[in-house]
Amino acid sequence: MKLTPEKVGTWLSSSGPDSDVVISTRVRFARNLIDVPFVVRMKQFEQELVLETVRWALADIGFLKQGRFFEEEMLAEPDGLYFVERHLASLDLITSKTRKGLFVSEDETVSLMVNEEDHIRFQVLASGFDFVTAFGKAAELDEKLEGQLAYAFSPEFGFLTSCPTNVGTALRVSVFLHLPGLVLTKEIERVLRGAYALGLLVRGVFGEGTESRANLFQISNRRTLGQSEAEIVEVVSSVCRQIVDYEHKARQFLMHNLRVEVEDKVFRSLGLLRGARIISTEEATDLLAMVRFGVALGIINELRLAEVTQLLILVRPANLQAVLGEKLRGDEQDERRATFIREKLVR
Amino acid sequence: MKLCDICGKKEATLVVRQLDKEGKATDLNVCAECAKKRGLTGVEECEPDSGAVIAELKSRMEESDSKVICPRCGMSFAEFKRAGRLGCADCYQAFTEKLKPIIRRLHGAVQHIGKTANQGRKRAQERLEIQRLRAELEKAIKQEDYEKAAALRDRLKRRGDETDS
Ligand SMILES: [Zn+2]
Ligand SMILES: [Zn+2]
Repeated sequence: MKLTPEKVGTWLSSSGPDSDVVISTRVRFARNLIDVPFVVRMKQFEQELVLETVRWALADIGFLKQGRFFEEEMLAEPDGLYFVERHLASLDLITSKTRKGLFVSEDETVSLMVNEEDHIRFQVLASGFDFVTAFGKAAELDEKLEGQLAYAFSPEFGFLTSCPTNVGTALRVSVFLHLPGLVLTKEIERVLRGAYALGLLVRGVFGEGTESRANLFQISNRRTLGQSEAEIVEVVSSVCRQIVDYEHKARQFLMHNLRVEVEDKVFRSLGLLRGARIISTEEATDLLAMVRFGVALGIINELRLAEVTQLLILVRPANLQAVLGEKLRGDEQDERRATFIREKLVR
Repeated sequence: MKLCDICGKKEATLVVRQLDKEGKATDLNVCAECAKKRGLTGVEECEPDSGAVIAELKSRMEESDSKVICPRCGMSFAEFKRAGRLGCADCYQAFTEKLKPIIRRLHGAVQHIGKTANQGRKRAQERLEIQRLRAELEKAIKQEDYEKAAALRDRLKRRGDETDS
């Protein structure tokens, strides 16, 4: 049994600060247990031991009482992709051959992977631009877990991780941004280069590498050592603040100077989604993002930001099949996706 | 910025050119430090066989990487360089000199500042002990050794009381 597929995580509710631009804020910590080798060197009994130990620790943490722990069969391909599409697990976890586990809180804002690249990787997601909630909750969970588990730590290198890119605080914070204004005004290159120069990592969300789909981007810290947790949050958050303000300015500019062109793009996208009989995930993503832009700008009033944002996840292959409760071939999928979107966008 | 072909860490400041039999040139970028170490300072154009010398030095470096081994998990530094993942917490100690330049390049620092680990260790060890006792208890019950099972149950109970307090 999956978590309820038609109900997506509350972090997709577009109710947090600056939700018109920032879809979500994510805070992730990596931790390894002392006295057990890292994942690449673990024997099977050690993988099981870590799994069991972490499960035990989680059961004792009050605010996670409502949640579920998934193991082997649930996480294997293709079913495990469901969690990847929902941003609750990494593809590496799903494709790895190790004994692994995934904890997901009931509202899907907290998730914890066991035996991915590190013994433990947990994340907290919050709706909108909200480091207070995301970081606060993640720090609390870290604290609680540490009451139960002994972590590998060195005074010099900090929290020890399997890959040196994560060592130190082992903290990765990121924001999931929707930047159609900057893309349409062609300012995006400059902004992303600037963010990179300030020490951040910029990725497209649905494309490979830096290629982006649907004007969706993810910005996160590159450094994890030599800066405190608070400093890392501060850097990402202040750069993100500037990007959000800049996106707002770009949107104002577009609405003043190119309103008809923007409306044309938005309504054509909505029209295609409402008329299509066959649609791929990629096309649906691009069009939904443009409709989301229209809702955020107040060009489209009959839809809510949350429902369009949530569709970005629900139309992905594994989620679509989970929602419809059927296994579908590729061509069937495109047809059913079109029907599903049409029904959702009918007013 | 071009990185040194020998150490792969520092910025290359020198180009060593090698000509093959057909007269085709291959350039090797070398940093000042490696050049000094290999006696290449001031060399602008090398003898045709200097490339072979450098190739040999490089392979010797690789050989030395495979000799640096973590005593706990048995991973060699060469293995780490191939996979990009360390084998255990002790690898950081074992490879510390070789890792530091890499960490500095990644993070611009080699000293952690920020939160330090609490010692959840004692509690964690207690948990592992409880887990071990439970497994033994299960085994004793399976083997119908009820006397042993009762003793184990009492020990578990005592431990449980301690950890709950
Ligand atoms: Zn060098
Ligand atoms: Zn090791």
